[in-house]
Amino acid sequence: MKRRRTLAVAASAATFAALTLAACSSSSSTGTGGGSTAPSGSTSAAAGSAAAFNAGTTGVVNPSTTKTSNTLSFALSSTPDSLDPGNTYYAWTWNFSRLYATPLMTYKSAPGAAGNTLVPGLATAPGTQSADGLTWTYHIKPGLKFSDGEPITSADVKYAVERTYDRSVLENGPNYFQVLLGDPKYPGPYKDKTGNLTSITTPDATTIVFHLVSPFPDFDYVAAIPQTAPVPQDKDTGANYQLNPVSSGPYMFQSYTLNKEAVLVDNPNWVPSEDPQAEQNVAKITLTMNVNADDIDNRLLAGDLDVDAAGTGVQAAARAKILSSPTLMKSADDALGNRLWFIYLNTKVAPLTNASCRQAIEYAADKTDLQTAYGGPVAGGAVASTTLLPGMPGYTSFDLYNALSQPTGDDTDAKTALTKCGQPNGFTVGAAYRSDRPKEVQAAQALQAALAKVGITLQLHGYPSGSYYSDFAGSPNYVHTHDLGIDFGGWPPDWPDGYGMLEELVNGNTIVPAGNTNVSEENNPQVNALFTDAAKPGTTAAQQAADYGQIDKLVMQDAVMLPEVYGKTLLYRGSDLTNVYAYAPFGMYNYAVLGKS
Amino acid sequence: MAVTLDPSPGQREPSTATSVGGAPIQGRSLWQIAWRRLRRDRVAMAGGIVILFLLLLAVVGPHLVQNPNTYNSSLVDPTFSRPIGSWGGISLAHPLGVEPVTGRDMLARIVVGAQYSLLIGFLATVLAVVIGVFFGIIAGYFGGWVDALIARAMDVFLAFPLLVFAIALIGVIPNSAWGLSGNTLRVALLVFIIGFFAWPYMGRIVRGQVISLREREFVDAARSIGARGPYILFRELLPNLVAPILVYSTLLIPTNILFEAALDYLGVGLIPPTPSWGQMLSNAVTEGFYYIDPMYMVIPGVAIFITVMAFNLFGDGLRDALDPRSR
Repeated sequence: MKRRRTLAVAASAATFAALTLAACSSSSSTGTGGGSTAPSGSTSAAAGSAAAFNAGTTGVVNPSTTKTSNTLSFALSSTPDSLDPGNTYYAWTWNFSRLYATPLMTYKSAPGAAGNTLVPGLATAPGTQSADGLTWTYHIKPGLKFSDGEPITSADVKYAVERTYDRSVLENGPNYFQVLLGDPKYPGPYKDKTGNLTSITTPDATTIVFHLVSPFPDFDYVAAIPQTAPVPQDKDTGANYQLNPVSSGPYMFQSYTLNKEAVLVDNPNWVPSEDPQAEQNVAKITLTMNVNADDIDNRLLAGDLDVDAAGTGVQAAARAKILSSPTLMKSADDALGNRLWFIYLNTKVAPLTNASCRQAIEYAADKTDLQTAYGGPVAGGAVASTTLLPGMPGYTSFDLYNALSQPTGDDTDAKTALTKCGQPNGFTVGAAYRSDRPKEVQAAQALQAALAKVGITLQLHGYPSGSYYSDFAGSPNYVHTHDLGIDFGGWPPDWPDGYGMLEELVNGNTIVPAGNTNVSEENNPQVNALFTDAAKPGTTAAQQAADYGQIDKLVMQDAVMLPEVYGKTLLYRGSDLTNVYAYAPFGMYNYAVLGKS
Repeated sequence: MAVTLDPSPGQREPSTATSVGGAPIQGRSLWQIAWRRLRRDRVAMAGGIVILFLLLLAVVGPHLVQNPNTYNSSLVDPTFSRPIGSWGGISLAHPLGVEPVTGRDMLARIVVGAQYSLLIGFLATVLAVVIGVFFGIIAGYFGGWVDALIARAMDVFLAFPLLVFAIALIGVIPNSAWGLSGNTLRVALLVFIIGFFAWPYMGRIVRGQVISLREREFVDAARSIGARGPYILFRELLPNLVAPILVYSTLLIPTNILFEAALDYLGVGLIPPTPSWGQMLSNAVTEGFYYIDPMYMVIPGVAIFITVMAFNLFGDGLRDALDPRSR
């Protein structure tokens, strides 16, 4: 399940500025940053921006290379699933873990869309794929050391992956390795103390080879998951390893009182030149947990706190304060891009079996009301008309159902489509949503009100989010028997390309009886063939992008997904923070390079 | 408290006599006396009038207001999700303003919400009273192991983690069951949950009353001429219990309304878009609207406050009027 993670995508700076300007036209401050575009080098080379609204979405705010003896303070309104890099599936923990854990591959530390570029972390270069596409080989940089002074070897990386196989000990992380690598029955090193994972081999101390069951072109993205950050076997304490993970990044744990506070200090064995994507700018980092969300915002605005660790944006109260004050707005960024909110239109529930009926829904939906339901143009997102996120390889802007040209709904075309479908007076269909998500409850009611105008009656059915995909919307049988032709959903891709975004949503062979994420039950042979083509070894990146772009168009023609908004987040940066910018892969500030003056 | 009334107050003709001055002195029934006392209690009368007004509002109001589910997106500032204009967008067209996010008319939602609140509050109270009186009478009259069994059952119900149970039950009930579906089913479920768990309060009061009444002469008299259990229970004892039942029903209604609001607040109440006071409060708090649009929290809050207050004041007055000694 990839429902909790949020890897992000950045829009082009131009689209972004335009959207934000429209959103904030009522405010006197419409600055969009210092105008610097994504730099080609590392962050320190970036042209600095003065503090202005959205400055952090296009350039680095307060760039600085000076190391200070300050303490950088993070706060979290909840508790992390785990701080163990091998056992976590939140966007913010993947971001935060870069402070003390370096995976094989990582994302380029740069503002704007450049942040989506994969670059080597521990590895010397991106993986090399064998001719048959079944093995991926990485070489790790020689001479690297853990915080305890021990050398980092390929065996430590292999062990780090091995331990994630024991889901009874480390239950939180994604399971790509178990799916992609051979030897899927390996029980993990805690249960099997003598054997090892045969599908990873380490010919020497700096080489690691992954053996796949079938070719997988996006393996470099998988290698960028923090699960590949090295773990020394003799220091591993299973689920408790999160209390004192041995560091391979710029900082190391000084103390961690579970679910209360973690304190990180400089890692003396970290070599800056070997890890250009991270920086060691302060002497100490604290992460306080279980702080009230509104309290976090107030402390951020007052300057007592530097970063809201969760990176999901300020609460409604702080949003109102920030957007109505030109001064506060200068320290805020409306960061684009961690997820798509959309509605599944099921192809097996009558009368939605007919594409024209689905298209009628696409036309009639009031996208403005849906956008408002998700928090409006600033905190919610931009009205969406595609299934790929802006900035993803293969994304092109198109508007099949007038979502952008007639955002309040196109009733004329909807009625035409209804007639074509043989239901000129409309029809009745069920709609499933997660009743414990207030924004989704609002969106469901907004869609109900909009569709009523063309005669389509929605019967709303709320379900708990915990079992939404396991028992309700994710169970095709339940969907059919309960007439749930319309199902609300959201998707944070695990990595920013067409595979990460669409494979689980619309590839026909991903339909499963429970935990189904292809809720539309889209099984278009053309779409399936394009996925196969993109996955073939030797397919160039450009060809892949073209495939995914084509899939996006086909899926929209089939009208199996009704895109609502490209998610956005309103972030606030404290005035003392240096090297701040919204980081595309996670949709929040880049924690690995932050400093404090 | 012990209410001592005539065995069958309704059946007795008021006797008349002639005073010295010639003007006839009207004998008054206990109900008339109670009514005179109640009428002198201005606070209780005010509560009663508010209740009448609320009932009227709930019955005819929904036909007079706008459609509570109509969106007025143009009245909402999408950036902040709050109504345009001060005081939650109050205007002539929308006397109580509009909802944040949707722009739906607040007056309509409050009025239709009142209908649901009162409907569920009343029906749940009826259910609680029927069950409570039935078991209370039986426990009090028969005593012994019957009493022990029912009294323990009441303890179990009173100690039950009701909120947790309600959330779990509403979670597992399908969207249609027993020939009902959607919101109708949900209303029925809410009535059942709220009423079924409120009966022990009524049961305990009735049981205490019956224990003191069953030793009275009129019960002995009925028994001596051969009356059997059911006759004594429902023809002799029950009419004497009308006063406490009335009083405690009136006091149970606001408790039930509050409980329904609490369930709404927790997201297991009425199904959206059905307006509900509890859901408005819940939205205002969880989505932070209390900061950007305080009226969205104040208005349903005041509605709940007035309703609960009116029922409590009227219930207190009713108790004082029917049983002055309990003051």
